[in-house]
Amino acid sequence: MGTIANNLKKLLPVVSIAVFLLFWQYSSGFYSSTLLPSPLEVLAALFELIERGVLAEHITVSILRFLAGYILAVIFAVPLGIMFGYYPLFHFAVDPLIQVLRPISPIAWFPLAVLWFGIGNAPAVFIIFLASFFPLLLSTLDSVRQIPSIYFKVAANFGAGKRTVFFKVILPAAFPGIMVGLHIAVGTAWIHLVAGEMLGSQSGLGYLIVDSRNFLRTDWIIVGMLTVGIIGLVIYNIMKMFEIFIKKIWGVES
Amino acid sequence: MKSERQHSKILIRGVEKYYKEHTALSSIDLDILQGELVCIVGPSGCGKSTLISLMAGFEKPSCGSVSIDGKEVKSPDSDRIMIFQDYGLFPWKTVMGNILFALQAKKIKGEEAFQTAREYIDLVGLEGSENKHPYQLSGGMKQRVAIARALAVEPSILFMDEPFAALDAFTRMRLQDEILRLWKEKQPTIVFVTHDLDEAVYLGGRIFVMASNPGRLSRVVKVELPRPCNRTSSAFVSYRNELFREFQLVHEKTEEYII
Repeated sequence: MGTIANNLKKLLPVVSIAVFLLFWQYSSGFYSSTLLPSPLEVLAALFELIERGVLAEHITVSILRFLAGYILAVIFAVPLGIMFGYYPLFHFAVDPLIQVLRPISPIAWFPLAVLWFGIGNAPAVFIIFLASFFPLLLSTLDSVRQIPSIYFKVAANFGAGKRTVFFKVILPAAFPGIMVGLHIAVGTAWIHLVAGEMLGSQSGLGYLIVDSRNFLRTDWIIVGMLTVGIIGLVIYNIMKMFEIFIKKIWGVES
Repeated sequence: MKSERQHSKILIRGVEKYYKEHTALSSIDLDILQGELVCIVGPSGCGKSTLISLMAGFEKPSCGSVSIDGKEVKSPDSDRIMIFQDYGLFPWKTVMGNILFALQAKKIKGEEAFQTAREYIDLVGLEGSENKHPYQLSGGMKQRVAIARALAVEPSILFMDEPFAALDAFTRMRLQDEILRLWKEKQPTIVFVTHDLDEAVYLGGRIFVMASNPGRLSRVVKVELPRPCNRTSSAFVSYRNELFREFQLVHEKTEEYII
């Protein structure tokens, strides 16, 4: 009885997707396919784009830009976050600046990005960089500030030097918090990738979506959107697996 | 040897500690002898944790002086290790890693450090748990690791700030016996803060009784019992009653009965 209920439960997500697709199929009957193509038409468009090799090309470009922006953000934000977290005076000095810059949507930087870097990869990479920079900086900073004081007491008691405290206490103690930041930043970065590419690129998934609109290929637009969603899901899950793996090494129950 | 035992290890003279307007400790004077195991008891808020923290060098007195071996205490030192109630183990390190951290901070490296760590893991009965992380251990085992880590650097003083307060009664009693055994074997000076009167009588050769508002020493009780002692013996019970009276717990209890 219990196992049957369990198996039925597993079917629920499938049911909701099926209902969504049926509803979509049904409502598409009322509109022209330029306004709302049916799921089957979108599927056909997907095969079309795959066959032409266009989709793979856009995906590759997007992922490379995403990685470039994200990794740059990690390189800058994590050390800065550790520094600000460790030296309260530093944090005090820069906090107002961070608080003013943080609420500005990365997209608002776009005009400047184009002025500074021109059209191409750079503006999109810059937007992704900004989108991941602040969540990473803030969560790193917080995780350093929230290291329990007892760890520092113990280290001082045994006579650990500054280097030892930094590498053997601060870094590992802040690590789970930094990991959370890495996770959050992946999400925001991926979301802003599309925005960045919609505005200033000649390739990538964001470009595919905008460009398809110019040709009124609504079916391609939806293929682009769904691809963004699915890749986002895959990246999120890779990150989650990585986090579990790290936690295991680090010795925390997950 | 006798004069060596009588040598003053920790000397506190006229120590006061203020936090803004609040007086945490007022005019503390006390001597702790080399190799002694003393307990400090008192209700919460009497400043007993502040006092041990001053002795360990984590805090500085507002006035007066704390000296150890004739030298003023200015900062923490690996010759006197503090054991905390919440263990202070590094969760990202294994049992072995936690002890190696202490040894490496003292510049003991490689095989020597490894051997020493193993020796102290065995000493506290944790053989077989070397590669476990703290979250895999019970509270009692975690405190054993902290004790092993402390002893591994061979300090002359152990400060223990309510180390067993979070443990269940049976584990606590077992660890009390363990402390007595280690004290006899390694002969450090031990300053043990607790709010458990039984624990104080069971461990302390002398018990410093503290009172609050402001935090001060109110009495010193000398306990002349063999170690370890029988917790149900009449001598034990009479020492305990003496402490109970000191805190007027006996008095309060009779009042309750009358009402």
